[in-house]
Amino acid sequence: MAAIVRAWKLVLSMIVLGALAAEALPVFAHGERAQEPYLRTRTAHWYDVTWSADKLSVNQEIVVTGKFRLYSDWPDAVQLPETVFVSNATPGPVFARVDSYLNGVPARQSFRDLEVGRDYEYKMVLRARIPGRYHVHPMIAIKGSGPLVGPGRWINVGGTADDFNYSLTAISGEKIDDLETWGVSAALTWHSIWLVIAAAWILWWVRRPLLIPRYLALKKEREDLLTTDTDIKLGIVVLVVAVGLAFYGYNWAQSKYPRTVPLQAGTMYTPPLPVQSPVVKIRFQEAKYDVPGRSMRMVMDVTNISDKPLRLGEFATASIRFVNHQLPAAKANVAANYPAELVARNGLGISDDSEIKPGETKQIAIDATDAAWEIERLTSFLTDVDSKVGGLLFFFDPEGRRHIAEVGGPILPVFKKS
Amino acid sequence: MSPNSREILAVSELPPEGAKLSRIWDWCVVAAVALLFMGAIHLHVMLTVGDWDMFIDWKDRQFWVLVTPVSMLMIPAALQAVFWHYFRLPIGMTLGAVLLLIATWITRYVGWHLWGYFPFTMGVPATMIAGALACDAILLIVRSSLLTSTFGGFVFALLFYPSNWASLAPYFIPIEHQGMVASVADMIGYVFPRSGTPEYIRMIERGTLRTYEGTTVWISSFFAGVICIFMHMLWWRIGLAFSTQRFVDSSKRFKKFVGLA
Repeated sequence: MAAIVRAWKLVLSMIVLGALAAEALPVFAHGERAQEPYLRTRTAHWYDVTWSADKLSVNQEIVVTGKFRLYSDWPDAVQLPETVFVSNATPGPVFARVDSYLNGVPARQSFRDLEVGRDYEYKMVLRARIPGRYHVHPMIAIKGSGPLVGPGRWINVGGTADDFNYSLTAISGEKIDDLETWGVSAALTWHSIWLVIAAAWILWWVRRPLLIPRYLALKKEREDLLTTDTDIKLGIVVLVVAVGLAFYGYNWAQSKYPRTVPLQAGTMYTPPLPVQSPVVKIRFQEAKYDVPGRSMRMVMDVTNISDKPLRLGEFATASIRFVNHQLPAAKANVAANYPAELVARNGLGISDDSEIKPGETKQIAIDATDAAWEIERLTSFLTDVDSKVGGLLFFFDPEGRRHIAEVGGPILPVFKKS
Repeated sequence: MSPNSREILAVSELPPEGAKLSRIWDWCVVAAVALLFMGAIHLHVMLTVGDWDMFIDWKDRQFWVLVTPVSMLMIPAALQAVFWHYFRLPIGMTLGAVLLLIATWITRYVGWHLWGYFPFTMGVPATMIAGALACDAILLIVRSSLLTSTFGGFVFALLFYPSNWASLAPYFIPIEHQGMVASVADMIGYVFPRSGTPEYIRMIERGTLRTYEGTTVWISSFFAGVICIFMHMLWWRIGLAFSTQRFVDSSKRFKKFVGLA
C-alpha cells in the first residue's frame, strides 16, 4: 500500500513539476515563430516599437506604437500589400481595441495600395479586458497572404474581468451601456419565443403514437387518421402565426430602431511616410549562415553618399536586433523596455567599425551571432525554396541621427564550423 | 389517450405490449435523432455558412441573407422528407431549426464565451424557426412535396430576414468612431480583435451600382427564396434516398468468394 502511495506521489510530483516547467516557457504566445524565415526577414521590418506599459489593470489602456518598412525584395510567395489591415496579435480578445491608426489615418478598416520599399507608422490603443499575462504584438494582415507579426512583449493584466466595460453612445442617441452585452437579452427573448412556438408544434405531434404505429397505419392507407382536420386547422394557424410574428417582430424593431446603417465596408488610403534622403548605397556581396555557430555573416560594399561620416549601428531582421555595442548612439536607439530576448546579447560584430567617410566605399563584413536564430526558428531558411535573407541596417552620423538602409540577398549554409 | 391515438394504435394492429414498447422506442429514437442531428446540422451550418452566422459583423444585407437560409434549409428539408414520407409527421424542418438553434447557443456560450473570451454580442446567431414552421405548415396543408418546395422553400427564405431583424436591429444603429460612421456590429468586430480574421476577410456587401432604394436585403431575400425552391427539391430527394433500404442480390461468384455457395 505504501509503495502505491509513493508511486502516486511520484507521478503527481512529476505532473506538477512538468506543469511548472511548461509554465516557465513562453508558450502562451501565438505562433509567430512558425512563420517561414523568408517571410519574416523579407516582408515587414518592424522598428521603433514601443509599449506604453508592461503592467496594467482591467480597463486601463496601453498604447503600442512603431513603424514598419515593407522590404523591397518582397518574396514571390507573399501577396503584395495591396489590401492591409493594421491589427494587434494577442491570444484572443484579451485586450479591447479602442483606436488604431496608420500614418495618423484611422485604421478601423483595411488600407489599400501600400508600397514596398516604404515606411509606415502605426499606433494602437488597447484596453485591458481579461486578467493574465499576454504576448502583445503589432501586426499587419495582408489579403491573400495572412498576418505578419511584429515583436511581442509580455504584458501583465491584473484585476477582474467582470469590471471590464465598454460603453458607447449611438449617433441616434441610444446609450449602449456595455458592448459585451448590448442587445443579447432581446435576442434571447425573441429566440425563446420562437423556440416555445416550435416546441409546442413538435409536442402537438409527438404526444400521439409516433413512429411504428404511424408507419403501419400509413402502410394500410389510413392517412386520414394521421393528419386530421384539427391538425390542418392548427397548421393554418401556425402558418399565420409564423408569418405574422416574423413581420410583427420586423416592424417592432423598425419602430424601436428607426435609424440603422449597413455594415461598413470600403478601404482607406494613406501615402507612405516621406522618403529619407539616401545616405548610403549598399552592394550585397554574400551571406552565410554558420549552422553550428548560430551565426549569420554577411559581406557588403557600403558607399557613403552623404556629406557626413557614418558608422553602422545595427542590423535588424525578423524583429531581432543586432546592435553595435561600440556605438553609443546605436545603443541609445534601443528602448530600455524592448524585449530583451529580441536583442542579441553579443551585439553586432563588424569587420571594420571605423567611420565611413563621405564618398568612401568600404567593404564590411557583419557577424550576427546569437541563439535567437535557433530560438526564433529562423534557420529553416536553409530548407526554404527561396533561400534569401533581408534586413535593415541602421547607420548613425556624428550627430546621432539615424539613417535606414535595406540589405539582403541569397544565403548559403555552412554546416561545419570554420 | 385521445380517440385518434387509440384508432391509430388499433389500425397498426400492435398488441398492447407492442404499443408500449413502440412508445419506448419512440423516445429512444427522439433522443438519438435530437443528438445526432443537433451535431450534424450544426456542423453543416458551420462549414457552409461559417462566419456569416458566427459573427455579428458578417451579417450584411447581401450575402448573409442569401447564403444562410439556402444552407440552413438543406438537412432540415431532408428530415422533413423522412418524417413526412414514412410517418406523415410535418415536423422535420421545425425540428431541424430548433436543434440548430440550441446547438448554436451551446457552442457560442461554451466555445466562444468561456474558452475564447468573446462576448455574446459578437456571436449572436440567426434562427430559421419562423421559416421552418411555415414550411412544415405548408406541407401539412398542401400535402405535396412539389408545392411545398415551391411555396414552402420560398417562404422559408423570405421569412429569414424579418424574423431575425428583431434580434439583430440593435446591432445596426449608427455610432461614430474615429470620425467615421459605423454600425454597432462593425464596432464589436473592431473592439474585440480576432487575430486571424482581419477586416478585409469579411465577405459582405461592398456596395452596388444600383441601390434599389436601399432594398438590397429584400432583393437578396427573394433571390434566396428562388434558390431555396430548388434546394428544397434536391434535399427532399436526398432525404428520401438516404432513408431507403435496398437489397441487392449477391452474385454467385461473390457468394462463393465469401464461402456461402
